[in-house]
Amino acid sequence: MSPLEALALLFLLGTGVLVVTLRNAIHAALALILNFLILAGLYVALDARFLGFIQIIVYAGAIVVLFLFVIMLLFAAQGEVGFDPLVRSKPLAALLALGVAGVLLSGLWGLRLAFTQDLKGGLPQALGPLLYGDWLFVLLAVGFLLMAATVVAVALVEPGKASRTQEAEKREEVVR
Amino acid sequence: MNWSYPVDPYWMVALKALLVVVGLLTAFAFMTLIERRLLARFQVRMGPNRVGPFGLLQPLADAIKSIFKEDIVVAQADRFLFVLAPLISVVFALLAFGLIPFGPPGSFFGYQPWVINLDLGILYLFAVSELAVYGIFLSGWASGSKYSLLGSLRSSASLISYELGLGLALLAPVLLVGSLNLNDIVNWQKENGWLFLYAFPAFLVYLIASMAEAARTPFDLPEAEQELVGGYHTEYSSIKWALFQMAEYIHFITASALIPTLFLGGWTMPVLEVPYLWMFLKIAFFLFLFIWIRATWFRLRYDQLLRFGWGFLFPVALLWFLVTALVVALDLPRTYLLYLSALSFLALLGAVLYTPKPARKGGGA
Repeated sequence: MSPLEALALLFLLGTGVLVVTLRNAIHAALALILNFLILAGLYVALDARFLGFIQIIVYAGAIVVLFLFVIMLLFAAQGEVGFDPLVRSKPLAALLALGVAGVLLSGLWGLRLAFTQDLKGGLPQALGPLLYGDWLFVLLAVGFLLMAATVVAVALVEPGKASRTQEAEKREEVVR
Repeated sequence: MNWSYPVDPYWMVALKALLVVVGLLTAFAFMTLIERRLLARFQVRMGPNRVGPFGLLQPLADAIKSIFKEDIVVAQADRFLFVLAPLISVVFALLAFGLIPFGPPGSFFGYQPWVINLDLGILYLFAVSELAVYGIFLSGWASGSKYSLLGSLRSSASLISYELGLGLALLAPVLLVGSLNLNDIVNWQKENGWLFLYAFPAFLVYLIASMAEAARTPFDLPEAEQELVGGYHTEYSSIKWALFQMAEYIHFITASALIPTLFLGGWTMPVLEVPYLWMFLKIAFFLFLFIWIRATWFRLRYDQLLRFGWGFLFPVALLWFLVTALVVALDLPRTYLLYLSALSFLALLGAVLYTPKPARKGGGA
């Protein structure tokens, strides 16, 4: 491991720890952006340039903005707001996170990462045929998963449903 | 069509980066003056003309004033983010401009007339402009004021919405050129004709969306004074406020330089090709156009703004992307696109000319 790689690892871990430990949710989200930016830099250094820029645009750009929207609209920036539904569950959460990391690592272990194609520094001109050729069904499956999640999210907050329950509540109140 | 480009030594890149930063900051200072003078002309006033000949020293006076005013950090503010937010705004505004080519390779005293030449140039532009949103977003929250928070929420919502239209509009030219590199795009236009001829709807969508991205007047909701006092920079004063203005004007200048680069041939011109001249003329044209629009147009209401972005710009850009994708995928002659975009121009013209005047149906004031 070269000194630069060690430095990148240090920064990645440091910002990751900050995301978890900072008391203010907005500051934590900013640490997350920093983490994503460092990760994008790592991707670029590994010649996965397209992936690096997509990491910035999608994760550091769009997704953290959504996080921030939610935090600001709920006034949830401080750790002391609201109630804690899972008391003293931090060790459990840590255990679960370690388990997920283990599962991911074990998946990586069996993978043969010997690509025969020249990816030309990870440019979209080289990645496109690969994604829409050999990995087409994987791509479609991921797309389907994301779409299903979107549909579920929309169905959960469907405005008609909420108003119906409110009406039902009102009727009950009248009956009472 | 595989262009390769020479690379500069690092000291030259650093020098050019410095030149771009200094140039943009100077341009910002004088754009404020030019905009105020032009707006004054549009409104039959004099405008600032007291400081120096024709008011030319006005930017200097403004700079001195804004530096020496009291710099207030409000008590409710999150001090760290309050200071960080304007810095983020300015830094990410400055980062985009270096990508734009101003001439053929070797036309900058034997070096290249661009600061960086990235294969993924357009993606870089998006990455930078998305991160610039954080400046506005954080400033609103860090101020600890309801007005600022509302201003920053609505401006980041509109910025993100219009970013989609912007990105989709760019897909059509990217498909035609087959590259994300700005130099490739300019060279392709030099060989095949300007891209707005091939993609007029995409050009129109890009023009409107970049106006929204720069928060120019039909879309200047972030600082709708009548509704939100000052929007996200309500609590900011002196030089921090000036930094937000700076970021806004740099976005404005960058947008005016990107539109010609992407759709109007960049530094090229069919007749009398001089490397820098046409680029500067095109930038000046768009700067003037945007000021002109600001002087004549009204501000959109917030829901109208979002409905226009999602309900009109987004579908139009998507439709044109599909048309271009069909032409490219089936390998049809590209002249079809020329006819189609001319047709869309005629359709737009027809729609503008034949829109009936709204008639008052009885009653009324």
